[in-house]
Amino acid sequence: MTDAPLLEITDLTTQFFTRAGVVKAVDGVSFSLRRGEVMGLVGESGSGKSVTGFSIIGLIDPPGRVASGSVKLDGRELVGLPPDELRTLRGRIVSMVFQDPLMTLNPVLTIGEQIRLALEAHEKVSGAQARQRAIAGLAQVRIPRPEATVDYYPHQLSGGMRQRVAIAIALLHHPKLIICDEPTTALDVSIQAEILVEMKELVAELGTALIWISHDLATVASIAQHVAVMRLGKIVEAGPTLDVLTRPQHAYTRALLDSLPSRAKPGEFLLRGGGVPDAVPPARKPASAAAAPVPGAPYFIADRVSKRFESRPSALRALGQRFGLLQPPPVVMAVDEVSLTVPRGEALGLVGESGSGKSTLGRMAAGIYAPSSGTVRFEGWPVMSEGQGSKKLTTRIQTIFQDPFASLDPRMRIGDGIAEGPLAHGLIGKAGARGYVRDWLAAVGLDPAFADRYPHQFSGGQRQRVAIARALAMQPDLVVCDEPVASLDVSIQAQIINLLMRLRAELGLTLIFISHDLSVVRHLCDRVAVMYRGRIVEEGPAGEVYDNPQHDYTKRLLAAVPVLPEAAA
Amino acid sequence: MLTHIAERILQALAVMLVMSALVFVGVYAIGNPIDVLIGPDVSQDIRLETIARYGLDKPLWEQYFTFLNRVLHGDFGRSFVFGMPVLQLILSRLPATLELTLAAVLSAALIGIPAGIYAGYRPESALSKTIMALSILGFSVPTFWIGLVLIMTFAVELSWLPAGGRGETASLFGVEWSFLTLNGLSHLLLPALNLAFFKLALMTRLARAGTREIMLTDTVKFARAAGISESVILRRHVLRLISIPLVTVFGLEFASTLAFAVVTETIFSWPGIGKLIIDSIQSLDRPVMVAYLMLVAFVFIMINFLVDLTYFALDPRLRKGRA
Repeated sequence: MTDAPLLEITDLTTQFFTRAGVVKAVDGVSFSLRRGEVMGLVGESGSGKSVTGFSIIGLIDPPGRVASGSVKLDGRELVGLPPDELRTLRGRIVSMVFQDPLMTLNPVLTIGEQIRLALEAHEKVSGAQARQRAIAGLAQVRIPRPEATVDYYPHQLSGGMRQRVAIAIALLHHPKLIICDEPTTALDVSIQAEILVEMKELVAELGTALIWISHDLATVASIAQHVAVMRLGKIVEAGPTLDVLTRPQHAYTRALLDSLPSRAKPGEFLLRGGGVPDAVPPARKPASAAAAPVPGAPYFIADRVSKRFESRPSALRALGQRFGLLQPPPVVMAVDEVSLTVPRGEALGLVGESGSGKSTLGRMAAGIYAPSSGTVRFEGWPVMSEGQGSKKLTTRIQTIFQDPFASLDPRMRIGDGIAEGPLAHGLIGKAGARGYVRDWLAAVGLDPAFADRYPHQFSGGQRQRVAIARALAMQPDLVVCDEPVASLDVSIQAQIINLLMRLRAELGLTLIFISHDLSVVRHLCDRVAVMYRGRIVEEGPAGEVYDNPQHDYTKRLLAAVPVLPEAAA
Repeated sequence: MLTHIAERILQALAVMLVMSALVFVGVYAIGNPIDVLIGPDVSQDIRLETIARYGLDKPLWEQYFTFLNRVLHGDFGRSFVFGMPVLQLILSRLPATLELTLAAVLSAALIGIPAGIYAGYRPESALSKTIMALSILGFSVPTFWIGLVLIMTFAVELSWLPAGGRGETASLFGVEWSFLTLNGLSHLLLPALNLAFFKLALMTRLARAGTREIMLTDTVKFARAAGISESVILRRHVLRLISIPLVTVFGLEFASTLAFAVVTETIFSWPGIGKLIIDSIQSLDRPVMVAYLMLVAFVFIMINFLVDLTYFALDPRLRKGRA
């Protein structure tokens, strides 16, 4: 009996009944899991990996439902179980942790109340008992000062702490199986590394089996003994993690691995992005003589720039502060006296964790934020005008943002969106606008006929191409890229990285590339600057910083990155 | 938190001051109260003497400051028509309107919020669709017409309930209330129902929209994954999360109903302040109008302030200070 697998899934099919027809999100998946075993479920968005998790735990919302197949947990068939009986298993026998702890915890209930609700779901507990159990649960997931944390609200905790709370709730009743759906995707690498280690220890300690769902092969490799790769609702390859990652049998697994910049030589095109070369970008308007570079000035320099964020106090508060009755609110120094130069044609990587100030610095470099002190100069000319309500003075610096969904106007045809800036600045005439837009769409690998479509008609990767075309159509010399591939699947990420590398070479662009992903920066950039708490703690040629980090923080950051096992030669 | 309260009180004082000036000037421009106070056949001497007695011969700004000074001493003047202090007059009518309004707003909330949560939880069910269809009616049918239909049905045709008046009252804290006697309650039922209709529809739709949104969030999914039952999820998670917009609307509706229950009070001849203000406008009883409008401004400010404080209680994210 103990030899029987804990979880046995046979030919599981989950369908979504939509107006467009039936979508098989999970299409005949079979696998099994022994007690205490850790399995990774890997795939890109839409592969059905999350739906598989929800199918096991019986939380498929209409219009979806488990159409056929069997999920046997601890010898008990879960498919077809009445909702009430399924509920009594959830949290007790099988539980689940989601991606974003900010979304999963209730913002208006204390941690203790939320734990009590989860306890009361399966047992009768008094208020005092619930509190004791909550404190013990928080201590188990290594939350410091659990007696205090139990009375906190989620917003008073950091992202890593919130995810630990969610894990504590999932572990309350010592379930036999935990399903974690992208549990570290929203977290910084160093927090991710901590959670990975703790999770490994916890499941070993409790003998809990774990299904770790992720898009990231490297994190899965560092926690799971077995891995299954999913694509379009099917498992295309499964086996011991080391075998699958070092000797992939299926073409899709190989393609996924080849998309990772960490597995390619820096500066090489990633294999995924091969195929027909895209059209050459359209010609630029010759530069006007009026803005000739100041002789001797560096190409781009941010000179001792700082950015403070402070809220303007109300009149009464200001009065109170003046007379010393009230404490002024603490000033947040997002960027603290940072200096940076970028020579023409270089790609500079700006890395750091969330809150390090890398995006704020990027925005000051791009002329979006005015620095609180210090200046940003391009070819010797200030990027922004002085004083109140300062404006950006040059069109030769442009920005590509992280979220292509948020950065494109949903009500504007993308062709009009691309032409808007160049028309306004006289880079092109009205007559030539259409052709210009078509040329740019072709240059970023999109069908020129797409010019008449709206942003919602594109996939995430296509939208990011549109955003790149829109930025480059302004004919910039320097482009600030703020996490341009962070929200994309690895294969799409590889395509966008290839596109950026190609366009950089063809147009002779200078890049400031902001990313939390160290492998992407290493792949794309010549030089790298590491930011920590508003300052640059280390700067140098990419190879040197990565191979021989000097600053403690850089060392910790690099150590936290999960590494894939090397392919056998 | 304390500075926030201090700020709000300062704001409230400023608003009251501006309101007093606006009201005074606005009301001053309407009609001539002397024509109401004394008959057309009195002698010119008595006429001038009356004008002087009420201070109506003084320039506008002087009248305003005299008024302001009196108000600061709690004296809103005497009603021209009733011949009694205005404050006393309004306070004698206020309990009737207060209990009518509270009955209407509370029943709207107690019926509307559960109905809305149900409709948001089971949007496809027949009952939910019926609830939503009825709520459209509640929005679109005018209040006075519903009032007339209620009287026609329950008072005239069925003779179950009285058509108007407050009925018997009982005393509590030295004030007469209808809801304390059975007869009074029967008088309260129809006008309260009439006033509640629109609010009921509003609460239902708000609660439904909020519930639908919250039900799709990961918070609910995570609670379900922990095995928490649906009723606990609705009561503990959803209700707390949708309560902020509900409290806002509850406060606004409570204040506006308290101030403007005029139509319903007229139809059901309910002796509240709504009827009083209509009568005062017709008889150009200037002190009553001014005091009433000041009172309305005060009630709105107070209720908004209470709503603000409730936000702090409901949403910990608004409280300052990070751990």
